[in-house]
Amino acid sequence: MSAVNLNINVHHLTRVEGHGDIVIDVKNGELVKCEWQVVEAPRFFEAMLRGRPYTEASHITSRICGICSVGHATASLRATERALGVEVSEQTELLRKLMFHGEMIDSHVLHVYMLVAPDFFGVGSVLPLASSHPEVVLRALRIKKLAGDLCALIAGRHTHPIAMTVGGFTHLPTVKELLAFRGRLVAAREDMDETIALLKTLPWPEFERETEYVSLQKDDEYAFIDGRVATTDGFTYDLSDYRQVTNEYLVPHSTAKWAKHNRESYMVGALARFNNNYDQLHPRAKVAAEELGMKPLVTNSFLNSAAQAIEMVHCVEDAILIIDKLVDQGIKEEPLYQFQGQGGEGVGACDVPRGILFHNYIIDDDGLIQGANCVIPTNQNHANIQADMQALLPQVIDRPQEEITHIMEMLVRAYDPCISCSTHLLNVEFV
Amino acid sequence: MTDGAGRTKPCPTVVIGLGNPLRGDDGVGVRLVQALAQRALPADVEVLDGGTQGLGLVTLLEGRQRAILVDAAQVGRAPGQFVRFRLGEARLPGSDGRLSIHAAGLSDALRLAEALGILPEEVIVFGVQPAAAEWDRGLSPEVKAALPRLLEAVLAEVAVGG
Repeated sequence: MSAVNLNINVHHLTRVEGHGDIVIDVKNGELVKCEWQVVEAPRFFEAMLRGRPYTEASHITSRICGICSVGHATASLRATERALGVEVSEQTELLRKLMFHGEMIDSHVLHVYMLVAPDFFGVGSVLPLASSHPEVVLRALRIKKLAGDLCALIAGRHTHPIAMTVGGFTHLPTVKELLAFRGRLVAAREDMDETIALLKTLPWPEFERETEYVSLQKDDEYAFIDGRVATTDGFTYDLSDYRQVTNEYLVPHSTAKWAKHNRESYMVGALARFNNNYDQLHPRAKVAAEELGMKPLVTNSFLNSAAQAIEMVHCVEDAILIIDKLVDQGIKEEPLYQFQGQGGEGVGACDVPRGILFHNYIIDDDGLIQGANCVIPTNQNHANIQADMQALLPQVIDRPQEEITHIMEMLVRAYDPCISCSTHLLNVEFV
Repeated sequence: MTDGAGRTKPCPTVVIGLGNPLRGDDGVGVRLVQALAQRALPADVEVLDGGTQGLGLVTLLEGRQRAILVDAAQVGRAPGQFVRFRLGEARLPGSDGRLSIHAAGLSDALRLAEALGILPEEVIVFGVQPAAAEWDRGLSPEVKAALPRLLEAVLAEVAVGG
């Protein structure tokens, strides 16, 4: 590291869902501080659920995040179903996967196009991009609408998945609706191809730092719901042992909990899934990966956004396959679960857009929630973000301060962190 | 309201309630549309729970003639009081051009819709002054007490254009 003084303090990083600060202090070439400070309001997750009937858990938790509402609802339902010993039908599993794909595409397209792309086009946000490259932004909105409509088709409405319930669905799509939607998914392949072509042209920063990549895993499919926890360091765990993976701890400069497993930090999210589950990707998604020059083990964290685009391709293709299966079997009304008067404990896990998410509930024999724990993906990434920052800094230290700041911001944004995305107050100034 | 392919047929008028019901008064928009959905409304009016999806709102605005948005907002009034204004009658500071989809979801979504030329002709905002927006599942007494008045005002708005 050369003899420089550097003081960077990015307060409330923009284009990140919530509040996070980048603090870098270099004095006479010596690194004094390089920290990722997270100012997250405590979530009171357990307090929100304790004493509530189990039937409310998925509806309450789906509001934790406006972008991952299906993910939270699904993890919540799986935790509840495991606690109560509820088996779900194949139809329910397929419909949940279909919705999950919708939310995955929805979240990824927002991140890749609206939050990451402006960095590469040299503009401060998606607003100037809408003027300079409207076709790019309109494509993003087209994909977003497709994804939102897919969720609405299954869940009954946009944003919050009210039709999802313990053991099944209170509303079912018709075969006719599914078939019509299939046509839209096939037509969306063109937008997927354009997305990969666009990403191929972007000058991704060069940076390598191998870490432990943690995700769900299944033998027969690219895992988003259920399965086991797997890491690229060779560990596997049953979902009920999730605490052995997350090992949450507190650090002085952050109000959010951090996590570590086999190394000082680990990474969750699209790149972790890609690294663990490449073999289970749809062939078209593998072609997309090849286009982007990606094959495991990818150790450039910036490419998390590229992995998201590959997953979008996978989700479109897998959604088509799921619809074919559902149409083939026909949609059947199924009896909904009735509480049997016996509680228990259960863990539910989903790999949501930003990574692996755990819900863990204890339900009593009256059907009331007595204990709840939730580990969100972003908290599991905090330590890895900081480790990446500390590895990247010496490589860019000779550049102008604005450039260092910019690349650090890009690095953090690549993780798509969601720190406290559940509130937004409109400020109004009357003129 | 969707067609056979789950494609939203844009109703000419949309009422969107925004916010997070887990964040105290931030949830007032969502509570309002939940109440509104129980009332008889003209056929050309769609009511949506917009939650906290930020820029995603743009896809809900596309193709509409009129959008009525209800959100908790710092409008400089006493808690529970609300202000109705048209877009253009007030400044909605976003993130000074730098975009955070967290803090200013609505104002940024409106700007993006404008930049893309898909903003509805008429955008009306009901901004409700919150007392508190901390993690809490209920509305404050002030905002709760204001809900019936707010509902009548939004119903009147819907009827005028309908």
